[in-house]
Amino acid sequence: MAITLFIIVSICFFLIRLIPGAVAGEGALPEIRIALEKRYHLDQPLWNQYLIFLKNFFSFEFGESISLYARTPVFDVIRTKIPLTLQLNIYALLLTLPLGMSFGVIAGLKKNSLTDHIISLMVIFFISVPSFVFASLLQYIFAFKLGFFPFLLNLKPGWSLDKFSSMILPILALSFGGIATITRYLRSELFEALNSEYMLLSKAKGLTQVQSTVRHAIRNSFIPLCNVVVPMFTNLLGGSLVVENIFGIPGMGSLIAQSLGASDYYLTIATLFFYSIIGLTSILLIDLSYGLIDPRIRMGGGKVRE
Amino acid sequence: MSKKSRERVLKQAQASFHYETPNPESVLKEKLPKKQFKMNQMDAYLYDKIFETEPIGFFRDAWLRFRANRASLIALIIISLVVVLAIIGPMIRPYTFRTQHTEFGVLPPRIQGLEKLGICDGTLVYNLQKSELEDYGDSVVKILDEYIWVYRGREIEMVTVKINMYIRRGAQDHYFWFGTDNIGRDMFVRVWRGARISLLIGLVSVIINCFIGVVYGSISGYYGGKVDMIMQRITDTLGAIPFLVISILFIMVLGAGIQSFILVLILVNWIPMSRMIRAQFYRYKDYEYVMASRIMGAKDRKLIFRHILPNAIGPIITQATLAIPGAIFAESFLSYLGLGIQAPEPSIGVLLAEGQKVLTSSPHLTLFPAMIVSILMLAFNIFGNGLRDAFDPRLRGTEQ
Repeated sequence: MAITLFIIVSICFFLIRLIPGAVAGEGALPEIRIALEKRYHLDQPLWNQYLIFLKNFFSFEFGESISLYARTPVFDVIRTKIPLTLQLNIYALLLTLPLGMSFGVIAGLKKNSLTDHIISLMVIFFISVPSFVFASLLQYIFAFKLGFFPFLLNLKPGWSLDKFSSMILPILALSFGGIATITRYLRSELFEALNSEYMLLSKAKGLTQVQSTVRHAIRNSFIPLCNVVVPMFTNLLGGSLVVENIFGIPGMGSLIAQSLGASDYYLTIATLFFYSIIGLTSILLIDLSYGLIDPRIRMGGGKVRE
Repeated sequence: MSKKSRERVLKQAQASFHYETPNPESVLKEKLPKKQFKMNQMDAYLYDKIFETEPIGFFRDAWLRFRANRASLIALIIISLVVVLAIIGPMIRPYTFRTQHTEFGVLPPRIQGLEKLGICDGTLVYNLQKSELEDYGDSVVKILDEYIWVYRGREIEMVTVKINMYIRRGAQDHYFWFGTDNIGRDMFVRVWRGARISLLIGLVSVIINCFIGVVYGSISGYYGGKVDMIMQRITDTLGAIPFLVISILFIMVLGAGIQSFILVLILVNWIPMSRMIRAQFYRYKDYEYVMASRIMGAKDRKLIFRHILPNAIGPIITQATLAIPGAIFAESFLSYLGLGIQAPEPSIGVLLAEGQKVLTSSPHLTLFPAMIVSILMLAFNIFGNGLRDAFDPRLRGTEQ
């Protein structure tokens, strides 16, 4: 993980140096250019620049925003943006998990029935239709044509009914893809679990169909789910990029888009760095959670050590 | 196992608790009298026969099973249709993707034939003051509603009217099938040209990915051991970089364009491809037929390309098919963030991003690209699922 982070940071550094006029614009006056170069250590040899860059990065000093939020440290900008994005994504996840799980269990238990076919059809539909198309569709129908919900996110501080109703559409747009993914995954896992030998054994031991399904099949089919759910959280952060733009939410996602539009490189790179950290942490979490949840892997690990 | 046979096995298992096994020796003692023995094929000449059934090759077999799956067959037809339209679509209209008619900006769709049915007839519904109605002259098709709007204490007579925008702008001779954008470029041509570019990016990147993945994955999977370990550490480290991060960084440096899109998609997507191919090699390299060939003196190269790779061709094709919608999605996603292809050239993502800005006033700009990208991704996903089932060796020969 540390190596990957190091590689990402290094790529960031060298790519930013490749962009012509990234710091001082091409047409800047010579005095300004010299001052800027001094400020950003551009007058020193590349190797020194690299070391300074690394040192700054790992002490969370990402420099200052150049054009978008002039003279504000990037870290402060990001800090104000994170809570909103996180809030939305957690709500979306809270909606996604129970719905996805229950749909998956229903489809898995009633495989090849009408319910299963309907759910499967919905799953392939929601996996295929891109989130931005879906978000635009929701916005057009429910906010514009029918007027049920506000068009953009209500940004008043504190809590109110208006604010909640304005959050419904973005949350829906964020969660449908996840629901479909979980449903599809759980359906196949559960079907496999239902047909496995241990189900036969548990029934031969005298458990009823319901008992063996609840105690053995469903429990076992939930294990690989953490493989899907944890990266989904990072994907949600990525997916919220577009949704945030559509619904006018000033979070991390729209920050990336804005900083790209304004060529604010320090801001972009710091935001990307945050995404990388979240992504890498989620990968680490998956590896750790496997050992915690699945007893087979714990035992397997023990065997190797002996 | 089907449900019935499972229940049978279960019953047998439960019954076996009470079942008394006969004494095996007593069975052996019951011998048949010698007179009853009779050789069955005493008079027949026995020799090997030529197979009477037709031999079925790998692809023919897969095709037979693919054909049985209605949904994926329809998906294949839809994909071919979209591809054909993406190729000829821009040519069948008298406009090019950059012909501007600034006087005909943002016209709604109008299609010959359909306009008589009231769909796509180039009309828009407006709320106007009644006094303004005269300005519109011939272009008023129908008055839908009249009402009174109270504005700052004054009562204003208002009408809801359907207006033929083509007559209003003097474009009676033109048929813009999907309408026009804000500078009067024909959306039909632009949408299909965009679809062409999106498909091209998807296809080229997937083909190159396959190539890199086959080389990397086969070396890693075939040789195994230390080589494999080092190569897998490299892919693990690179694979942990989030897609968003690497794509944004590279497009920032390279500038947006078809080539940089393809490059980014290659940079990101070759890793899952090579992993899958490595897994295939791991599966096949210990098979007896590979060992037999090696004993007969086949070189590594021959084993890899002649014996193992053809067996892995099914999963490779499936994965490649499923990677195409992913690539199209990634392209539109990045275009959506403003990293799209440069101005005159359209792509589905660029069109969607442009349409999103004016979603409420002219929904047709979003509708058509959104429909095409959704249909395309849906079709590719269903088609890929069908291919996976068709190539799955476990399902081979299960259907008659």
